[in-house]
Amino acid sequence: MKRKGFFLLLMMTITILLTSCWSKKELTDLAIVSAMGIDETKDGRFHITLQIINPGNVAGGLQGGGGGSQSPPVTIYSASGDNIVEASRRASGRISRRLYYAHTNLVVVGEKLARKEGLNTLIDGLDRDPEFRNTSTLVIAKNSTAADLVKTLTPVDKIPANKVLKTLEFTERKWGENVKTSLQEVMKSIESPGRGAVVSGFRLVGNPQQAQKLDNLQESAPGATLRASGIAVLKQGKLVDWLYGKPARGTVWILDKIQGTNININWAGKKEAIAYQTVRQKTSVSAQVKNGKPHISVHTRVEGDIGDMEVPVDITNPKVITKIEQSVRKEIKKELRSAIERAQKNKTDILGFGEVVHRTRPNQFKKLKTEWNDVYFPKLDVDITVEAYVRRAGLRNKSFLSGVKENQK
Amino acid sequence: MEKAKISASQLFILMVLFELGSALLVPLAIRAKQDAWLAILLGMLGSFVLFLVYHKLYSYYPNLLPTEYMQKILGKVMGTVLAFVYILYFMYDASRVLRDFGEMLLTFSYPDTPLFIANALLMLVIIYTIRKGIEVIARSGELLFIFMYVLAVAGFILIVSSGLIDFKNLQPVLEEGILPTVKVAASETLYFPFTEAIVFTMILPYLNNSKKAKVTMLCATGLSGINLVITMLINITVIGVNLTARSQFPLLSTVASIQVADFLERLDVFFMLAMVIGIFFKVTILFYAATIGTANLFKIKSPSKLAYPLGIVILFLSIIIASNFQEHLHEGLYIAKFILHIPLFIIIPPILLFIAFLQKRKDHGSKHV
Repeated sequence: MKRKGFFLLLMMTITILLTSCWSKKELTDLAIVSAMGIDETKDGRFHITLQIINPGNVAGGLQGGGGGSQSPPVTIYSASGDNIVEASRRASGRISRRLYYAHTNLVVVGEKLARKEGLNTLIDGLDRDPEFRNTSTLVIAKNSTAADLVKTLTPVDKIPANKVLKTLEFTERKWGENVKTSLQEVMKSIESPGRGAVVSGFRLVGNPQQAQKLDNLQESAPGATLRASGIAVLKQGKLVDWLYGKPARGTVWILDKIQGTNININWAGKKEAIAYQTVRQKTSVSAQVKNGKPHISVHTRVEGDIGDMEVPVDITNPKVITKIEQSVRKEIKKELRSAIERAQKNKTDILGFGEVVHRTRPNQFKKLKTEWNDVYFPKLDVDITVEAYVRRAGLRNKSFLSGVKENQK
Repeated sequence: MEKAKISASQLFILMVLFELGSALLVPLAIRAKQDAWLAILLGMLGSFVLFLVYHKLYSYYPNLLPTEYMQKILGKVMGTVLAFVYILYFMYDASRVLRDFGEMLLTFSYPDTPLFIANALLMLVIIYTIRKGIEVIARSGELLFIFMYVLAVAGFILIVSSGLIDFKNLQPVLEEGILPTVKVAASETLYFPFTEAIVFTMILPYLNNSKKAKVTMLCATGLSGINLVITMLINITVIGVNLTARSQFPLLSTVASIQVADFLERLDVFFMLAMVIGIFFKVTILFYAATIGTANLFKIKSPSKLAYPLGIVILFLSIIIASNFQEHLHEGLYIAKFILHIPLFIIIPPILLFIAFLQKRKDHGSKHV
């Protein structure tokens, strides 16, 4: 009997302990941080801006109030400190709940901080924290502070962090002048010997004051919006250059991250006459070292469709298709070349060529390693070969313009 | 020694769970960088030789615990002392693994809970299991083995399908030549986790079919070795060498990077489940070996009575062996190697075998004469 009583007591005690209330986090006591902005204050400390979700205001459907004139879906708090951990703890003086970082999918770094201090000093605090996930996306706020970017309210996707993430994801897939880079990827490329990193840029268009107001969302064309803008080039963790347009897309291309994009070629004297839409591509980089001189070859294979023709072209003739393919090849090659030249001008190996040499020629790379970025990379000989194929041409063969041309003869 | 029997397949399962146990948790052999998988493989092959030595000893005395045959081989006094050293080692190792468990829980999800509480909760379950004896341990092993493999296979499929694996991370293979890798294999992976399974010499006498012992041991080591190789390969291909080396629990970081179709993510808790199972068995087996060894050595009739006192010793030991996690890891990697692993795994068993061999031959010879 005594024994049974003892067991009963033991079981009850264990049941209480097993609920692990010791480290409990009640949902109603959590402030879910959706995005975090990091800036530098005037005296060189970190200033963090936290975008916290107001759960009641994001609930979808009718309850949310379709854009809601009552209160915004997120609330912003900020604090500063000598490091991110301190700033985050200090912020608790302003928030009624415990900050919860497990759902922080976006980290925004201000351009000034990225240029002056670099990212190296702030990454460890994020990487080490068990709650924070290093799959979250890293973005550099172009031309503004991170705080302004985080504060901006966005239409369609009510939570601004989601808007930024989705924009990057889709533009990377459909256009390819931007990349979505996670904290983990950025760390990996900063760490790798003689390599620069790329980080996506984001920009606030319009007045920062207006961007934080709900009124902004009540216009059909909001005065202030967020937009993916350029690719930041980091050398040893510091921002050195921004890439736009062709060099940007070429860079994404060589990094083999591009999925679909659009390439225009000239035809019959008309500029940008035919639009070629890529469907899939595969890029591989290989390296040789001859007499201590590294040599890189980039090979890419593209498949795609014809999307638009502004001049009458008879594509029922396979020879014409071959000609189109050749022009596409030339066009892509030009783009990749411009990306490489830009990287070489910056003396920053964002394309991971050094890594390829390291992987395939580890012994030779040891000699090149220390001076890779400044001496070897800028003078690097790069061979580009492009294979481009036109597979399909949409619903029509000849263009409607061909009909116009024939009938008006 | 209790009257119980386990089958060869149960032994196999226990051994696999034991060797996977805490080895899945840590960045195993990461000093070999991207060749960690090779170091693990080499360590596994090396351990086969030692397992043959352990098995030969067992085949001389198939019904005796090592604590007994050590006394037969070395004489009463020396044998008792040596057996006692082994028992102490088993207890120390059990407390180490228990500490690993507590540190993992505290680091990852229970930052405010004291280490003692986390360890004590697992220890209570283990004490209960020990009291039930080896048959219950083996049967629960069968049950949880399946669960663990379901988790592992599901995790593997998710990692592959989320497209995270980048085999380029494994290059260059053998950057510094084969020597550093062999060194890591000989100085780390050989002992942890492979020859650590010397504790199974205490379990072998319970096997119902002693002929299957050799095959079972080697197969179990082979399977767990291959599993560990796959785990390390995945860790390195997914999160890269540098991050793996910097991670306290690389597999956790790997599992945390799974993002399939935008909703299958944050699966860390499954990793924790697998770890708890593995560590539970590792501690249980080490603890069980210590219990029956002590009972045998000090002629205590029912070993299950020893579960409480020894359990409490292991629990407290797990708290006091190191003042912080780094110290704990340092002890395991650099100090335990020379003081415990090399003498207990590599030097003493062959000596015992040699002496036993001479004795057997003498006996044999005298019978014929």
